[in-house]
Amino acid sequence: MLEVLIIDDDDIVTLVQGKLLQNCNVCKNPLKFKRAVDALEYLYLASPDNDYLLLLDINMPLMNGWQFLEEIEKMTIKEQVFVYMVTSSIDFNDKEKAKKYSRIVNFIEKPITVKNCEQLKEHQLFKSHFE
Amino acid sequence: MNYSSDELKILVVEDHIGDYILIEDYLTEEHVQINLTRALTFKEAKEKLKSAETYNCILLDLSLPDVDSNEELVRKMVALSNNTPIIVLTGFANKEFGVKTLSLGISDYLLKDELNAAQLAKSIYYSIERKNIDLKLSESERKYKTLFDFSPYPMWVLDKHSLDFLKVNEAAVKLYGYSTEEFLNMSVRDLWVDELKEEIQHTWKENYHGKFNTTVKHLKKNGSIIHVEILSNPIDFDGREARVTQITDITSQLQAEQALKSSEKRFKALVQDASDLVMIFDFEGNMSYVSPSSNQMIGILDSEMLQKNFFYYIHEDDVQTVREHLLMLHDLKRIQIPSYRIKTSTGKWRYVETIITNLFEEEYVNGIVANCRDITDFIKQEKKLISSLKRYDTVAKATSDTITDFDILNDKIFYNEGMQSVFGYTKEQINNTSAWWNDKIHPEDRFRVKATSKEIKISKSKNIQIEYRFRCADGSYKYILDRSYLVTDIDGNPVRIIGAMQDITDIQNYIQTIEDHNSRLKDIAWTQSHVVRAPLARIMGIINLLQKFPDISEQDQLLEHIISSAIELDDIIRNITIKTENVSSIEK
Repeated sequence: MLEVLIIDDDDIVTLVQGKLLQNCNVCKNPLKFKRAVDALEYLYLASPDNDYLLLLDINMPLMNGWQFLEEIEKMTIKEQVFVYMVTSSIDFNDKEKAKKYSRIVNFIEKPITVKNCEQLKEHQLFKSHFE
Repeated sequence: MNYSSDELKILVVEDHIGDYILIEDYLTEEHVQINLTRALTFKEAKEKLKSAETYNCILLDLSLPDVDSNEELVRKMVALSNNTPIIVLTGFANKEFGVKTLSLGISDYLLKDELNAAQLAKSIYYSIERKNIDLKLSESERKYKTLFDFSPYPMWVLDKHSLDFLKVNEAAVKLYGYSTEEFLNMSVRDLWVDELKEEIQHTWKENYHGKFNTTVKHLKKNGSIIHVEILSNPIDFDGREARVTQITDITSQLQAEQALKSSEKRFKALVQDASDLVMIFDFEGNMSYVSPSSNQMIGILDSEMLQKNFFYYIHEDDVQTVREHLLMLHDLKRIQIPSYRIKTSTGKWRYVETIITNLFEEEYVNGIVANCRDITDFIKQEKKLISSLKRYDTVAKATSDTITDFDILNDKIFYNEGMQSVFGYTKEQINNTSAWWNDKIHPEDRFRVKATSKEIKISKSKNIQIEYRFRCADGSYKYILDRSYLVTDIDGNPVRIIGAMQDITDIQNYIQTIEDHNSRLKDIAWTQSHVVRAPLARIMGIINLLQKFPDISEQDQLLEHIISSAIELDDIIRNITIKTENVSSIEK
């Protein structure tokens, strides 16, 4: 099973992204986390049988997207974690940095669109979950 | 029959009175003045011959009482005779011995039995004459021998066929260094130098029987080579076919000739072929000699040039100066005329520099000798240089750059006014060592500057460009762009560095300001783009959702979010405007 986690400090963003994922049939009930640490907590306890798709914002207070990824690397289920980095504006440094994280599947500039959802469903990694 | 009217003094050595009277009769019959002296014995004859008396002839009877051996008698008489001819009178029985006496030095022999007046007289005269001729001959031989032995010219006698030395003189021994004994064991071929052997052999063969003279090279005993002239004649040498050769050492003569030749050549090269033009003229400019180099220098043949006056060829503006200098030679021996122009065949002018010398006292010159050197190229160069220097000065003044001239070998740096006007140092403060200059470089830049100059010396690149900070007299630093040119010697070793220190402090400050400005703007742009995009992205996301799914739940709430996001966006943009305005005002 594919579980989707939306991690963003902006409530409107989580709301809009959640609705989009539901309407695009990516996920019926995406999990929304306003703080990265909450998402980490969830993943610590998560089942290793599932795959986890994370829509991760980079700029967040307390713990930003990069710090979050560092923590993921320490987890036993890291192999089941797939990350879509979502940011309001992509700069060159971020892209370079992203290369160092094998969890990162894609880089998306906000907003996430229907098109993004369709591409996601077609993606080699997730295809099986939507057949 | 009279042979002579002179008195004949005859010594008659005859013990037999009868024979003596007979002889006396015969002689009186044939000759008017006869002075006879009689010796009866050998002893008596000996005494007579030793006395002061001289005789024209001796008549000797072989049968004397005091000498037993005829031969001994003859020998003794010949020894005593002092070249006086001796005629032997002998009996028929002694005829054979008579013949033998001839080889002992007797002039003639007569048989007493066949004696008559005419025969006796004839024998006496013949003997006297022959003796005279013999004497002359031997005298001449002696003279020639002396001539040969003591000739100042080296001489030798060679075997005609083998060319072996038969006789050499003192001069030859002295010249060649071989002793007489050594010579006599040698052949003249031993003296021939290898290179000329064939030639000499050829000359000798061609003149085998005749006389010849030639010039050859001979080897001395010490190995040195001499040039000799030889004169060789065939002679009979004691019955042997030979050649007598006279040697003249012409080595020093040749050397002198050679020296003269090279001296002449030198003169020719110096005067005739040199590029300098040499002329001889008088105070009025009438020329008596022009060197052929005139053709080379001004394209006019010397002969042609001689036809006109010296002043004809001088530029009219220069004539006065040249004439004035010429007149100075009345008091001075030598003077240099400052550069003036002379006309060429094409009507163009060449600049020459001339030294004139008064040589009227020299019989063979009798005039003023002028040595003209073409300095046109030099003058042109000089003019170029002057204009180049003028340009340099102008440029140096026009630029605000400080010009540096670093004499590497002597560790001296010279500056133009810039060191004072740009950096504020007084003349007294400026020290011309490189250490002084180095000391003024900002400590943070010093190492880099040193490393660069080292690298340049190694890489031998000619153009140097480096930026550094240079301390002013007031302690502040100016940013300098130093552009230098490395001057090297023929071997490529650095000799001088000519440079321009450009004060780029203003530019540097300006650049710094712009860079600061840029970085602030960049900062604003970057942060704002993130801030701006957040609400914008929200709006775009909601609209995308509403478009794609028109029946979506909570539409009112979504619209509400669009409004709030739009307001947020508006605020942000207002903020940016204010911030940007602030940047501009900071700058002002």
